Amino acid sequence: MMTKTWDLLEKQQPVVMRMLKNMLQRDRIAHAYLFEGMKGTGKRETAIVFSKAIFCENLQDGYKPCEACVSCKRIDNRNNPDLHIIEPDGASIKIDQIRYLQQEFSKKAVESEHKVYIVVDADKMTVNAANSLLKFLEEPDGDTIAILITEQIQKILPTILSRCQLISFQPLPKDEIIQQLIEMGISPDDAPLFAHLTNNIDEAYALKDDEWLLQARKLVLKLNEIMDYRQFMDTLLYIQTDWLPHFKTREEVDKGLDMLLYMYRDILAVQLNHEDRIVYPHQLETWKRKALHLTPVQLAQKISAILEAKKRLNANVNSALLMEQLAVKLQEG
Amino acid sequence: MRFFIQKERLIKSVQDVIKAVAVRTTIPILIGIKIDADENGVSLTGSDSDISIRSFIPKEENDEEIVEIVETGSIVLQARFFSEVVKKLPESIVEIRLEDQFKTVISSGNAEFVIHGLDPEEYPRLPQVEGDTHFSIRSDLLKTLIKQTVFAVSTSETRPILTGVHWTIQNQELLAVATDSHRLAQKKVLLEPASSGLEKDIVIPGKSLNELIKVIDESDETIEIVITDNQILFKAENLLFYSRLLEGKYPETSRLIPTNWETSVTLDAKDFLQAVDRASLLAREGKNNVIKFSIEEDGIVKISSYTPEIGTVEEKVRGQIKGDEIKISFSAKYMIDALRAIDGTEVTIYFTGPLRPFIIKTDHDESILQLLLPVRTY
Amino acid sequence: MPGRARIIFHIDMNSFYASVEMAYDPVLKGKPLAIAGNPEERRGIIVTCSYEARRFGVKTTMPVWEAKKLCPQLIIRKPNFDRYRAMSKKIFALLREYTDLVEPASIDEGYMDVTDHVTDHPVRMAQQIQQRILKELDLPCSIGIGPNKFLAKTASDMKKPLGITVLRKRDVPQILWPLPTGEMYGVGKKTAEKLKQIGILTIGDLAKGNDIQLRNALGINGIRLKEWANGNDHRPVNPEAIYDFKSIGNSTTLAKDTVDQTFLLNTLQNLAKTVSARMQNKEVFATTISITIRYNDRTTWTRSQKLENPIQEMADVYAVSKQLFLKHWNGKPVRLLGITGQDLVDKDQAFEQLNLFTYQEIAKQEPLLETIEQLKDKYGEDIITKGVKKYRPEGQTDTGFNKDFLMKK
Repeated sequence: MMTKTWDLLEKQQPVVMRMLKNMLQRDRIAHAYLFEGMKGTGKRETAIVFSKAIFCENLQDGYKPCEACVSCKRIDNRNNPDLHIIEPDGASIKIDQIRYLQQEFSKKAVESEHKVYIVVDADKMTVNAANSLLKFLEEPDGDTIAILITEQIQKILPTILSRCQLISFQPLPKDEIIQQLIEMGISPDDAPLFAHLTNNIDEAYALKDDEWLLQARKLVLKLNEIMDYRQFMDTLLYIQTDWLPHFKTREEVDKGLDMLLYMYRDILAVQLNHEDRIVYPHQLETWKRKALHLTPVQLAQKISAILEAKKRLNANVNSALLMEQLAVKLQEG
Repeated sequence: MRFFIQKERLIKSVQDVIKAVAVRTTIPILIGIKIDADENGVSLTGSDSDISIRSFIPKEENDEEIVEIVETGSIVLQARFFSEVVKKLPESIVEIRLEDQFKTVISSGNAEFVIHGLDPEEYPRLPQVEGDTHFSIRSDLLKTLIKQTVFAVSTSETRPILTGVHWTIQNQELLAVATDSHRLAQKKVLLEPASSGLEKDIVIPGKSLNELIKVIDESDETIEIVITDNQILFKAENLLFYSRLLEGKYPETSRLIPTNWETSVTLDAKDFLQAVDRASLLAREGKNNVIKFSIEEDGIVKISSYTPEIGTVEEKVRGQIKGDEIKISFSAKYMIDALRAIDGTEVTIYFTGPLRPFIIKTDHDESILQLLLPVRTY
Repeated sequence: MPGRARIIFHIDMNSFYASVEMAYDPVLKGKPLAIAGNPEERRGIIVTCSYEARRFGVKTTMPVWEAKKLCPQLIIRKPNFDRYRAMSKKIFALLREYTDLVEPASIDEGYMDVTDHVTDHPVRMAQQIQQRILKELDLPCSIGIGPNKFLAKTASDMKKPLGITVLRKRDVPQILWPLPTGEMYGVGKKTAEKLKQIGILTIGDLAKGNDIQLRNALGINGIRLKEWANGNDHRPVNPEAIYDFKSIGNSTTLAKDTVDQTFLLNTLQNLAKTVSARMQNKEVFATTISITIRYNDRTTWTRSQKLENPIQEMADVYAVSKQLFLKHWNGKPVRLLGITGQDLVDKDQAFEQLNLFTYQEIAKQEPLLETIEQLKDKYGEDIITKGVKKYRPEGQTDTGFNKDFLMKK
């Protein structure tokens, strides 16, 4: 697993890291935390860094682990006997894994004052396992700190939720993701679109090999061209012959609509002189041209038409009908 | 690190510490044995994080050189492999040499093995021998103390604290108590005068104490005990045994032990044990056999049990009876365990009522007390 | 079956444990052999012994040293229950080759209804079975033949070892009636005592006994015993009977699939009431409680909990069931719920190990217990029991489906 330093995480999750820093500096560490947030927001890395701070022998400024002492090194190698990480064994966290934890709860730490338990994907605990864990959360013994991690907070038992201090991880800022993608070798033309399609850097990076997506982008830009230069009947024909065969499932149609939406937002950004924020940088010249022909009101109407279509998609409207109606609204105004 | 060592001593130490090495572990470093060589000799350590055993091999013993230290240092070597290698070496002297990184060379005669070791810095750090609380105890007394209490610990995880033996040290006295909530065993030991200022309240896992009895050598006369915040250390001459302590507060038991009684029955311990044993022989397949105990007139106690296969088994034992008549039922197994722990020629049972705990003591050893809860029959 | 005479066999293995040992180790054959818990030491008691040993006066429950005094050459072995169980299985498998209507009554005895399977003469069929068990399994047995279970059982007891005895209904006045009631199957020491109090001494007296008197003294059992004393017994040979004893359960299909926890717990409470009442009617306690949850997708889960102390009370049954349910219910809609009490033990085998931290609550009952003991000493064992024993109609389930559904494996 990739380890991230406190400084790096601070850039991605400034609010969370400030909270943790305060707790460490004031020595006000809770018995149980629930780290909640979308995939790729750095919850697990933060739990590890936070644990390092708890055990570090050479803490910097009272909160930052040194990453060099034996204790920090042992955490990287999973050799700290007072830090336990529980992860789903297959699809769920089994009662045996929690029983192991309970046995550890019942004993004093091996060498330090603290014991730390990290439960990754805590929502994957079986009801049985969750209830066993609850017993500990109700009556914590000694200096024990539990960190539960989840991407699906709605699946955590309310009884567990109420006993944990909730720490919410925000999706990463887009600029940050774009910057990192470019550093990872994604072209500056592709990076903004990938970053907008997901919050997770690893997922975004993987999009470079997603054939469906690359084709989808072509189709979206082509649709724009046809609407600009052809008859409305041509647009409908294009939707029938090219668009619909590619965007089949509801998720695919939704993604297609998003990509259309980014296009109009780009044009709006050009009008507002925010050229550095556009999703399709290689289309900048085209957008500039279009920006001259469209008023902000027209643009706003088109954007709201797309948002309306997205809403209707969720209500299970037939996608061919949906696209045709949308095309009318986009092309007429 | 580089040293030469007598093979037999090395093998013996490896065997001692490998008992503690984790078979399955979530902490990778614990699959190894840690070797430390310093000016005084060589130490080997094995641990599963609950129990750790450290064996010390001194440089010299009775004017005989056992270890020659060329260069001090430490390494962690994979335990099973290291143990196999050491046993197979041809000559009586072994050389262990740490080369660059963690590469370790073990050689003896023409044989040479290279093992890639692990960073000794990553190995758990055990408490220092000089803890805040320490005292000495005769090893046979320690063994008895453990044997007379540890059998009564709970084996169920529902109340983890009861899986340990509660030690309270104060006023130069050590009180050990174990209970699984159905019976209780208590033993008091007077400590050496030097420990009169000590006060300590700890719970030691029953599992650790059972292991400890196996490890204490007959030749060790006294054991030094060091208690730290997290661990207890038992120190024999060349062997250190560490156990993690249990977390939490042990329930108050002293007020649960009845102080007055309504009936007392003094019995020949052996006769009584055998009578209970006979009556419980038909307790099979893990079923707890219940014994009925009742006082007949003229100093006779009736012991009976019933099983559907056989019917009723009944037996009479002579005893000195004081106080009211009583009819009470209890688990044969618990009674047998208690009588074996007391190990006296005569025992006295003090009853306060058929649905209340009763205690078993012996006149010639005031330091031990066993308590049993009866069973209610329908 | 009414209107047609039945032919029932009762197969009774002769000194079963000892015979099995001899079958495993033929050297022991023809020698006095006893099974005892602890053969190494002279303490321990005799669990069972061979006929050779009985001839010396060795008896069950006798201490080993006493037996040795009577019979110095007595060979003593430890019990091997696994062996006995394996052998028992083989015996019943052999009996089932003749008819499916085989009812095991315990590890070493069972009934067969051979009414539809006798080809020539019942005695010749019995001889064949006895010979096969002897030759194929190396075990001796006695077989009783009668028109019902009671007479067959009584007959098998009349000649041991290797006996075959026929007991007809018309033989009853001549053979059974002169005997004291205590000799009769189904009459124990306590029952004989009670019969004596109403002037019934022999089986003949019992056969002519007054119904009302008998009912008062022994309840419904008194009437049944009178019937038996007259040679009448209508109980069928029931191959499932052994399961009836092992568990008592009840289940209910809900009117509609639901996730309403309050409703589900109420349903569970009602089931606990029925199961508890049925256990009380049978005077048994459960040492394991299991619950069954069937979901709307028809997946069925059974989860059980072994108990420290046997239970019977509705509140106890409900408490365990509720705990099991809350622990294992996955939150999906439930279609059916069930509770079963398993590993049942008789009332006189049920006990509660008191707990050091909670015994005070129970110890409050001591004064009551004392009063009962005093009354018992004065008027005899059965003068009083805690709570009046009565039949609990809650145990009746209105559907025909009160069979112990869990035992259908």
